[in-house]
Amino acid sequence: MAKLKMKYLEIAAPVTQSKSIFDYLQLQNVIELAQIEQTEGLVSLGTERTVANIEKYYDTAAKALKALDKYAPEKKGLTAAFKPLPEMTVSEYAAKCEEADEILGVCYDVCEGEKTISEAKAQIARNEAAIDAVTPWLPLDVSMKYQGTASTAAYIGTLPAEYSAESLKESLAAYLADEERFECEIVSSSENRSCVFVLCHRECAEQVFEALRSIGFSYPSDPTKHPPKVRYERLKKENERLKEKTENAVSEIKSLAGRRSDIEFVSDYFSVRRDKYKALGMVAAGNSMVIISGYVPANRADKLTKDLDEKFDVAWSLTDPAEDADVPVLLQNRPIAASVEPITEMYDSPGKADLDPNPIMAFFYFIFFGLMLSDAGYGLLMTIGCGIAKFKFKPQGKMKKTVDMYFWCGLATLFWGTLFGSWFGDIFEVIASQFMGIPDLGAHLNSLLGFNLFKDGIALWFQPVNDPMKLMIYSFLFGIIHLFVGLGASFVKMWKADNKVGAIFDVIPVYIFVTGFAVIGSGVLMEVSPSVQSAGKWLLIIGSALIVLTSGRSSKNIVGKFGLGLYGLYNTASGWLSDILSYSRLLALGLCTGVIASVINTLGTMPENKIIKAAMLIPVFIFGHAVNMAINLIGTYVHTNRLQYVEFFSKFYEGGGRSFTPLRNNTKYIQIKEDK
Amino acid sequence: MSYGIMLAILGGVLAALFGGVGSAIGVGTVGRSAAGVVAEDPSKFGKVLILQVLPGTQGLYGFLVAFLLLIQIGIMGGEPLDLTPAQGLMYFAACLPMAAGGLISGIHQGKAAAAGVALVAKRPEESGKAIIFAAMVETYAVLALLISILAMFNITGIITAA
Repeated sequence: MAKLKMKYLEIAAPVTQSKSIFDYLQLQNVIELAQIEQTEGLVSLGTERTVANIEKYYDTAAKALKALDKYAPEKKGLTAAFKPLPEMTVSEYAAKCEEADEILGVCYDVCEGEKTISEAKAQIARNEAAIDAVTPWLPLDVSMKYQGTASTAAYIGTLPAEYSAESLKESLAAYLADEERFECEIVSSSENRSCVFVLCHRECAEQVFEALRSIGFSYPSDPTKHPPKVRYERLKKENERLKEKTENAVSEIKSLAGRRSDIEFVSDYFSVRRDKYKALGMVAAGNSMVIISGYVPANRADKLTKDLDEKFDVAWSLTDPAEDADVPVLLQNRPIAASVEPITEMYDSPGKADLDPNPIMAFFYFIFFGLMLSDAGYGLLMTIGCGIAKFKFKPQGKMKKTVDMYFWCGLATLFWGTLFGSWFGDIFEVIASQFMGIPDLGAHLNSLLGFNLFKDGIALWFQPVNDPMKLMIYSFLFGIIHLFVGLGASFVKMWKADNKVGAIFDVIPVYIFVTGFAVIGSGVLMEVSPSVQSAGKWLLIIGSALIVLTSGRSSKNIVGKFGLGLYGLYNTASGWLSDILSYSRLLALGLCTGVIASVINTLGTMPENKIIKAAMLIPVFIFGHAVNMAINLIGTYVHTNRLQYVEFFSKFYEGGGRSFTPLRNNTKYIQIKEDK
Repeated sequence: MSYGIMLAILGGVLAALFGGVGSAIGVGTVGRSAAGVVAEDPSKFGKVLILQVLPGTQGLYGFLVAFLLLIQIGIMGGEPLDLTPAQGLMYFAACLPMAAGGLISGIHQGKAAAAGVALVAKRPEESGKAIIFAAMVETYAVLALLISILAMFNITGIITAA
């Protein structure tokens, strides 16, 4: 299984049937439409305006849902994300579509309510600001515009400092002659602002005003017509009315919460219709017929064309896509390999010349994930969790793949954890030695079993923390296997693309060279017998010679060939060295999980008294391991991806493909199924 | 207590200290960007949270080195080794890669992850790539951790063999 072969399908159909054909194609989820070039006699159907209208309705529904989420949130269980969408058959769907107009009305009601609320809230905020501005003037019992009587002049305004009636009098007196008398009152005063009322005789009005100006007097920016209290009360009352209005609107929206599923339905309904009209815009139409064209996976083309013949009066042609056509890519894999497809897609969809990397990648993905998480307890939890999610909720699509992937990763983790004897760190050994008086659990179990099942503690193989060098060597070994498989894939790819010279000359010398290199290199880390050493040496020499001789073959002259050859050797050596060393992260992250898990257990068993120890261990165990597992899951996921993307894919995978995006019912809340 | 053991402990403390400082700065940097994105669109919380956690591993690695060191030299759960100053200095040196690597890679991973948060804000479907960019930086923390641990274990081997 791998990349599916694509066919190019052209359908000629009567205009009268075009809509029902599109409904049918959309349900089948099988064809990616291609824009038809407009030729003589054929025009585009021009559906842009319809699309724009439907888009507007869709936005209204989306807005209504958002408002419902805000004011009448729906309680969603943690497991909701795993569950598949509720199903609806085509005829149920068609029947429900009759209600679309009425439901759209509900959407408008909700949006209207939301608009009322936001407007009222804005008005309330403005009023609050106005109330704050008028509050300092409340003690004033005349209008703020009051100018005085026939013989007196009044000045109402603010001064930029704190004054009392006495200090204001003193400050003003400094600017005025004795006979220029005035009366003043402080309406309110704060640290850097005083609201004042000053009264004087008309005769000396100008002088008093000048004096006031010189200490920074200014008129209020928004004076009240009536005494300030009147405005204050009016605003307060208005805010109360607005608050009531908001509450009414909220409760109105809440009362429509029961229509949520209907609104979700129309949101999907408009999404489906929008896509349909967009698709209609891509076909070419004549007076009485339309031409629909697009890419169809080859394995589904026969059934599609047969169904089309049965249901509609159409003519069709099925051809191989042109060499230079922009053919979309669709992958089909068995469930295990398919589970890592999202990982590959996150990197890039396979390009035209690429092999589907998933089947070979899946195995390594699980193995490396397990090695890095490497705790059987955590692996068991993952396996059980994903197993429950898988069988109870039966997720679909991408969610199914993700759950599958973590299920297999969990199993791999369980496998490695058992080999390394790590169960929530060393919890079994800790319990045995601290509570049951068994100092060496592995030996105890071995004596019970009668044979040596447990080699090192309760590890079936060995504990990395006791012999990190051993795991390091194995990490490099796994890395070399991983990279060699990637290199093999590039051989296949070049061979298939009829680049047989490239396949042989670019791949075989590297195999020889790296094998020799690895043998010599392993001598640094462990004992290697002299005969193997010398074999490695010869492989290295032969490989180097071959690389120098072959990798410069694109150059014309002999010097260039030799120069490029040396450069190729340098590139191969440095590239492969760093690639292989990169696999040391398998050891590092594995150690990290195990050691921190053991640290948690150590922290939990610090008290001497057994009862206190048990009481302490339980919360420390639950909290500590939850945190450790979460952090290490993220780290493991990231580094497993990295090993695939950077080390593995760089050997053979180009990407750059375009995923197959068929015309389909792109729904978020329901799924539409064929009638039974 | 000898100078040797003092030097060894100092090394472990530096690893935990600088690893922690690097992570704190890194996680803080990402947190600020992340809060901005979540203010606009709370549904991106999960995606940006993963990015924020990424620079946190340096602190963990530093802690790990310090903890392993305390076990290796017998401060935790055993008799403290009687180290000569030269031996203590060996342990001290073994901790340095993690201390320096943790500090610097933590800060820079934080910056890369914060940029990744901006990427997620605009194109949430590409969050995987943002994670990979930040994870590239972590490689060097992993290498530092590895060399610190391997050096430490082998130093203990030398000392106990002698």
